[in-house]
Amino acid sequence: MNTNTMSYKTKQFLMFAGVTTFIFCAVVIVPFIYGLYLTFTSWDGVSVSKPFVGLANYAATFKDGAFWQALLRTAIYSVISVILVNVVAFILAFLVTSGVKGQNFFRAGFFVPNLIGGIVLGYIWKFVFNRAFVSLGNALSIGFLSTSWLATTNGAMLCLIIVSVWQYAGYMMLIYVAGFMSVSNDVIEAAKIDGCTNMQTIVHISVPLMVSSFVQCLFLTITRCFMVYDVNLSLTNGEPFNSSVMAAMHVYNTAFTYKDYGTGQAEALVLFIVCAIVGVLQVYIGKKAEVSA
Amino acid sequence: MKKKFLSIALTAAMVLSLAACGGSSADTGSGSGSSSGGGTAITIFNSKSEIQDAFVELAEEYSKEKGVNVEVYYSNDTVAAHMATKYAANDPYTISMVDAKDVYSLGPEHALDLSDQDWVKNTDYAISVDGQVKGFPVCIEARGVMYNASAIEAITGKEFNPDDYKTLDAFTALLDELVAGGMEAPVGIMKEDWSLAAHYFQEIYEEQDDPEAFIQSLYAGTADLANNQKFNDMMDTFDVLMKYNYAAGQPVAAEREVSEQKLAEGEIAFMFGGNWDWSLIKDFEPSEKMGMMPVPQNTTDGSNEKLVGGGSKYFFIDSSSNISAEQVQAAKDFLNWLVNDEAGNKFLTERCALVPAFSNISADALDPLSFSVKSYADAGKLIDNYNYDPDDHYSKVGASMQKYLAGQIDRAGFAAEVESYWSSTTPVEH
Repeated sequence: MNTNTMSYKTKQFLMFAGVTTFIFCAVVIVPFIYGLYLTFTSWDGVSVSKPFVGLANYAATFKDGAFWQALLRTAIYSVISVILVNVVAFILAFLVTSGVKGQNFFRAGFFVPNLIGGIVLGYIWKFVFNRAFVSLGNALSIGFLSTSWLATTNGAMLCLIIVSVWQYAGYMMLIYVAGFMSVSNDVIEAAKIDGCTNMQTIVHISVPLMVSSFVQCLFLTITRCFMVYDVNLSLTNGEPFNSSVMAAMHVYNTAFTYKDYGTGQAEALVLFIVCAIVGVLQVYIGKKAEVSA
Repeated sequence: MKKKFLSIALTAAMVLSLAACGGSSADTGSGSGSSSGGGTAITIFNSKSEIQDAFVELAEEYSKEKGVNVEVYYSNDTVAAHMATKYAANDPYTISMVDAKDVYSLGPEHALDLSDQDWVKNTDYAISVDGQVKGFPVCIEARGVMYNASAIEAITGKEFNPDDYKTLDAFTALLDELVAGGMEAPVGIMKEDWSLAAHYFQEIYEEQDDPEAFIQSLYAGTADLANNQKFNDMMDTFDVLMKYNYAAGQPVAAEREVSEQKLAEGEIAFMFGGNWDWSLIKDFEPSEKMGMMPVPQNTTDGSNEKLVGGGSKYFFIDSSSNISAEQVQAAKDFLNWLVNDEAGNKFLTERCALVPAFSNISADALDPLSFSVKSYADAGKLIDNYNYDPDDHYSKVGASMQKYLAGQIDRAGFAAEVESYWSSTTPVEH
């Protein structure tokens, strides 16, 4: 049977990837293109008519100071969160693969926060920051705990970062655990015999061999941080004085609450492009650093 | 090279899917209702969270009795945002309960003309768009200062009559007396942007001699807010409220539930709000004597003798082809049943504790706050709502007012921020 014909290849493709391609088109590609179309209209989200306005929404996007502030804020938040999430996750992964007693229990424990939905998690932590910490601070007269962090601009950002680290570190830990497990014992042993200390083994043997884990984790955390919405909504809801509104929340508010759908959609597109550039760049650089034993 | 391209393509695909997820985070609302088979089925969107349970119960009873399948939905989203997602999905409710401004914005395209309905003659609060009655008023709501008279009388030892404290001077003297009597901080302030901007600050527009002209001058940038008499009167009062606020140290960390509880239990005596706050207050152990009074001001224009409010929340029936003639009829029947049937009246006034907007409905079993509102309304002492704010007004002006509340800007800076908000905003057509 000739396997090199066009029809054979098409059939093969349809058999293996047909369903997923269809679903991917239906829920991602088509809405994306339709969204792109909406950026050229002044639709308010409710009206039947969608008047065509050309590039006016993009002009409005560039003039929308609050959007660029939100984007900058999101970038700062993302950089700090990404670093902290990965550092914490890596350390946790190292600890739970180093053979401590009950390490399976710890692995499960650290992973649990990731199973709680972002909205619920936000409300839980809101209670912790607003009530638990404040009561504790007052009872023990610890100055910096006796007022709610959520009431100050920087404090609200700090709270968002703490909650994100708590939420994602467990998940990323699992990926790093898989990375640690994939490093064969032979090379570790060889390094030890050659006189490496524990630290040297990690830095020079384990880390280079698990670059793919880093690439995955960084990609996941960067995109998730840039798209943060649920925790933002339930933990701070943009308060105090709209100073903790992240990019995704600003997009949602513009499109639905302020009924400026076209501009909101244009801002969403800008957000997408920023994320895509950062994500692709990061994967590209990460791939270059990959080595194999 | 090929592998590299593939990985980049895959990355792009994943980012794309994330972006798609991020863009569609609207919630679908929680549905509930009856499932008795047969007959016409109508859906109702309820935007008053406090009556959701009663409404769902009612829907079941109504369905059984009338053979019309009624389902009631509620959403945590803001009303305008939720309606936008429903209309974007081309999946409207038969009857939607929305705010006044939504009737004006949605009405021309989406609401059915109800001018010929029987209930129209019994109300002064229906909303007309382009000469057609489109909004059915669900209830009357008003804003003012809520007070806990039991707590006040326990300290002052004499009966509390809100009319004695309509000027700011008298009100401040009372606050001082309360402080001296052991109530450390007698006031609570809700820091939510909708409360600050859409409820409190809004009164500055509504109590102008001509609110419409004042708003237009704000759009035009010709209004001088910092030297406006009403602005300064209201902000003077706000300063006093801030001074006696129990959360004065960190006003923007005050949680609404905590403040309401303090008011209900008499730990504080005053808080600006509206009669809908009863839905939270009743969950605690409210003192016997509570009520609402106008915002005290040093003024002689009479506005310190009136609450601000009117019809609140409106039903409209969707006019699109998604709704069949039978559904329209069932929806109209339901609205008439609310007004003209005893069971319908009881639902509004007793089970939901709403102040009725219809003259033929009597209400004796209201909660204390609503009772105050009804007595002000009956005496003609309500200042009308101004319903044409831009959609982002509560959020933007609310943020500025939160800054003022937190002491980050002074009054002149606050006035300047509000002025610059209005002058950079496209006027709402109406």
